[in-house]
Amino acid sequence: MKYTLMLILLVFCSISNAQEKLNKLQAPTSPAASILGMQPSAVLSPKSYQALETALYSSFVGENGTAVIPNDFALEFTPYWTKNHSLSLDEYLYPKRLTDQFIRNSSLSIASTQNFQLGDSTATNGLGFGYRTTFYFGNKKDREKIEKYISDLKSNKTITALIGSEAQSLLENKKVSTKGEFIEKIKITILEAINKNMSRLNNIQKNKLIEEILLEISTLSLDLNNFDSFLNDFNNVIDSKLKSEILFNEFKTYITDRQGWSIDIAYANLLNFPTNNFEFSYLPRQSFWVTPTYNFKDNLSFLKIMGVVRYEWYNVDYFKKYFANSKVYENNFDYGLAISTQFEKVSFKLELVGRNSETEIPAGTDSEGNELFRRDKTSDLQYLGSFNYNLSDQIILSYSLGKSFEPMLNTDNTLISLISLNFGFGTPSEKTLDLNK
Amino acid sequence: MRKTYRYKNLVFPVSDDTEVIFEVEFISDGNSGQSVINVPGPNDKEISNSGSESIGKGKDLRGDSTICFSDIDNAIPEEDEIKINYKINDELIVEHSNLKSEEERPIIVLSIKFPVS
Repeated sequence: MKYTLMLILLVFCSISNAQEKLNKLQAPTSPAASILGMQPSAVLSPKSYQALETALYSSFVGENGTAVIPNDFALEFTPYWTKNHSLSLDEYLYPKRLTDQFIRNSSLSIASTQNFQLGDSTATNGLGFGYRTTFYFGNKKDREKIEKYISDLKSNKTITALIGSEAQSLLENKKVSTKGEFIEKIKITILEAINKNMSRLNNIQKNKLIEEILLEISTLSLDLNNFDSFLNDFNNVIDSKLKSEILFNEFKTYITDRQGWSIDIAYANLLNFPTNNFEFSYLPRQSFWVTPTYNFKDNLSFLKIMGVVRYEWYNVDYFKKYFANSKVYENNFDYGLAISTQFEKVSFKLELVGRNSETEIPAGTDSEGNELFRRDKTSDLQYLGSFNYNLSDQIILSYSLGKSFEPMLNTDNTLISLISLNFGFGTPSEKTLDLNK
Repeated sequence: MRKTYRYKNLVFPVSDDTEVIFEVEFISDGNSGQSVINVPGPNDKEISNSGSESIGKGKDLRGDSTICFSDIDNAIPEEDEIKINYKINDELIVEHSNLKSEEERPIIVLSIKFPVS
């Protein structure tokens, strides 16, 4: 039964891949890959210029040193984070100027494929170039939440450092000769550090915490001549009882998805080589996205509202020549709204996008021989419901149902009914690249 | 289990009347941390994040090792390394660096002796 289910899913997956890519309402993670209509299995994100050079060299230079366009390749690079700026956590969380956010969040992307299909199914080389940045607008609730996390983490770190430094000093400076003597002396520091710095607990909770720490450290074995491993275990007892790791992980998760408004801005263009000759290329399409998103928190933390304004420009001459039966408008303006919800393993998303398209068509000449044009306009609507289920940390099952915009080819084919399995694999890192190449 | 990075047997010769300034300098972006400098005697000092503190004169720091214990973390997703410089009187004594993939909440312990210069 299990194998039958997998087979059905795989068949549906291949059906979904055969259809035209959906133009979903969201700023793409990699604008360059998005404009090529490809979903790369991995996006390289080099964190240094050295790693960037290696990634480009190993991907775009063939065995005999000639330039090649790699197949289904995507790379996103954020220049700001390639070097250290001694940026404090405060400066990171609350940038003083919008230009700070603009610079820090700017990323450049490049994607390539050898299988960009023309209207007659000829496989050609395609390159995508993209740019994106994000602006975040915090609010009072976000600041309160961040301040609370920072304050609690600071208390925990102060307690750990006060107790840890004293424990190290007692043993390294040979101020104690038995484990019992060590516990008696360190107990004074533990009491002082917790009572002075743990303001979020009441006295009963503080006493309970102190008791638990003392009980657990009494079970550790101490060799006075080789005490490093004892001190490692001792520090970990303090850390675990203060629940510092849990608090840190919550904070880390929160700052990647903060409450309030954020706006993604992205641009991408496509370069196609229809004859696969490097010296003959077209720029058939350009896109520009503005995507505002509002993240709710607390009781509404499952909810996210997203809007989109997207402008797409198509090179009509190119599409007439290489997609003979296609219907393409030069200027396309999309606007829409989406609501998504997330409940542990299940998420739902509803989106509605409108499109206004227009193009100028030659309409002969006037009496003086000047060219005349008429404006051809149309509007369209896309609506879509999606359901995602996290089968595991790495596998997501998705189903989408709705109506898409009229495709360029097969214009009657607007039904969306897609089931897909998305496998999340770790992206290659600087460490996995051969930097000596 | 958190990883502890120990720098032992550090020596900084200093004359009796020289004031000793201890400095923690965050190099990589988004670090956060508390450091306690446990000196011989009662005048322990705390440094929040990057900063410096006078830990006394040379003659106050003889005998026992001075312990600097730093509890550090780095929560920002764009940074993949934790890099911190420790200085005494502007002189670099430890250049700590670890990848976050190895430990994103390192404990760093320095043991320093201050003999007569």
